[in-house]
Amino acid sequence: MTLTLQWVALAVCLGCTAWRIPALAQRRNRGMFWTFAFMSICVALSIHAIYIPLDGLLGGHNVTNVFLRLSLFVVFYLLASKVAAAYNSPLALKLIRGPVGLAILVACSLGIWISYFLSEVKGSTTGMAEFADQPSIEAYKAFGLAYAAYAAAVVVIPTAKAAFSSKPMLDRAAALLMCIGFAMVCASVPLQLLENGTIEALFSFGPVLFVAAGLALVWVSFMRRPVTPKARG
Amino acid sequence: MTVPAKLFQQWLGSVAGNTSQAAVCRAAGIKRSTLAQQLVRGRVSVATVAAVSRSLDVPVVDALTVFPKFSDLASGMKPPTSAELLSQIADADLLQEILNRNAATEPTMATANTKLSPVPHRFSVRDWLDAIDTSELRQKVARRVAIAPQNLSAQISANRLTAELAVESARIAGVGLTNGLVTTGLLSPAEAGWTPGSRTAALKATSNSALVLLAAQRLESWGKVLRRNEDDTAAAQNIWENLG
Repeated sequence: MTLTLQWVALAVCLGCTAWRIPALAQRRNRGMFWTFAFMSICVALSIHAIYIPLDGLLGGHNVTNVFLRLSLFVVFYLLASKVAAAYNSPLALKLIRGPVGLAILVACSLGIWISYFLSEVKGSTTGMAEFADQPSIEAYKAFGLAYAAYAAAVVVIPTAKAAFSSKPMLDRAAALLMCIGFAMVCASVPLQLLENGTIEALFSFGPVLFVAAGLALVWVSFMRRPVTPKARG
Repeated sequence: MTVPAKLFQQWLGSVAGNTSQAAVCRAAGIKRSTLAQQLVRGRVSVATVAAVSRSLDVPVVDALTVFPKFSDLASGMKPPTSAELLSQIADADLLQEILNRNAATEPTMATANTKLSPVPHRFSVRDWLDAIDTSELRQKVARRVAIAPQNLSAQISANRLTAELAVESARIAGVGLTNGLVTTGLLSPAEAGWTPGSRTAALKATSNSALVLLAAQRLESWGKVLRRNEDDTAAAQNIWENLG
């Protein structure tokens, strides 16, 4: 079940990345391409069959997992700032791109590196599962989750507002799907306590699917937009 | 807004005799499949009743009165009040009248065309409800018909109103029961018993001050509608610019 979910999420991410290539070529909203490119990396590196050989190439010190965590930060930074701007929430935008947001991002990134170097992590293990009893690895995971949960929490409210507004149905559905995705990321923090692998996977890869579906709906509505003269530049 | 299919068929039998359904549809300009579907579902739309009765030269109001929901429709007909007549004059026509009266004071300017555009106009339903409203009409209508107030508002913003709501509004406001059906376009003014030229007469009889104040009111609500549309467009544009 977990494995299926992971592969489906990877396929969806790669599909979305491919969908953004024409826009990338036209230099329109390139951030969305990078969001999905990094999201694909994150999902791919969470899959055992991809992680083990890749980390082996990099020396088997699990530095690949650090890349995974940092890519995840990139995804959340790009996505949250885009979504905050899209749903017209200056406060959310400030909380992501402003000094507070950047400080939290830098602190979490440093925390990741420091706790990584403090841990004994020889021998590739997907998701650092074998080292879970080390306190420094617990901190490492907490730092990883902290920024994701922070960024997701910031955009839950703007998307929820849009989902329950009087916009057209398609736009509301898109906002609702993203809102569910971000809310699941927030919910994954308390759910860590359950220490249930299936639920953890559900709340890690479920949001990927919800957010991707929401953005796909936005792109559908973009393709169906009324034709306007190109004067706005 | 619908009437029971069974009653519709009884009525059709009484007015059209043995004419086949296909012939009735052809004469009324309705697709046969549309009528068939409405009959299968057991609910025939009032628009169908109106189209069929027009094709058979039966007065639409008399046809509707056959159905229990509208049994008092014919007896409840009253000529429209002057406010109702003015409410069915389009914004542009009101403004034109102001310009014409202004021009009439200056002999050098020519008077433009004074023919009114047909009923219903873009905000017919809303303007009619505003014209007959004494106090909290919309809330009373929503409560009486058991419809959520936001659903009623949605209909009004879309310039629509089901026949049941239109008749109920008129009943609560104490005006002619057929008048609301004119604002939704179900009935033509003549079918609802409005005398020809009554709108023009009401307009001519309106004092300058009342006319200008009415136009100002109309412009204000028009401005609000425009602003809402522009805000919605800007919001959609913003989403597309950032995520599209």
